[in-house]
Amino acid sequence: MKITTAYLGEIEINPSEIIQFEHGLPGFEEEKEFIQLPLSEENVFQVLQSLKTQDLAFIITTPYATVADYSFELDESVIKVLDIKSNEKVAVFVIVSLKDTMDTSTINLKAPIIFNIENRKAKQIILEEDYAIRHRLVLEKKEG
Amino acid sequence: MLVLTRKAGETIWINDEIEVVITEVKGDQVKVGIRAPRHVGIIRGELREDVKNANLEAVAKNIDLLK
Repeated sequence: MKITTAYLGEIEINPSEIIQFEHGLPGFEEEKEFIQLPLSEENVFQVLQSLKTQDLAFIITTPYATVADYSFELDESVIKVLDIKSNEKVAVFVIVSLKDTMDTSTINLKAPIIFNIENRKAKQIILEEDYAIRHRLVLEKKEG
Repeated sequence: MLVLTRKAGETIWINDEIEVVITEVKGDQVKVGIRAPRHVGIIRGELREDVKNANLEAVAKNIDLLK
């Protein structure tokens, strides 16, 4: 099916790639279908594009590039709601708040998006753990 | 919005599976207990509001920085 995106023009997608957010996201409760699109060559950043609203797209990234030991408990309500059967089929990504420079850009570590790759269901959860909603975006470079 | 007036010890049922209990009223603070099945997510409103604001802020406008 064809969709129009915020940054990549009109593209062809496979409906099986659609990610379902049963209750949308906080602030976007009616946005229930998104698709993940690559952005940079190294694939560190991706676009989470709304199917319903052309202009609605979030930049997402892996939290582990900034915080290598990022970890949290998955609440039982999330496991049930996303029908998570195995840890291996769960992807975690975080929303990037892109500002004018990388230095001032942040990632939301307090509310990651949990994605069950098997059934395509996702949810933005809010952690008990003490992570920041606006954590400085740092891409860990390998030393030496 | 349904508004009910309760005293300490009184309860409210939602959807036959969630029970809200006013456990204590002390000055301007109310202790609220919630009994709900494990699939029901419960969160403090202000925390959700913070995340909502961060999401609104994060809607990608210009991605030139990433190109």
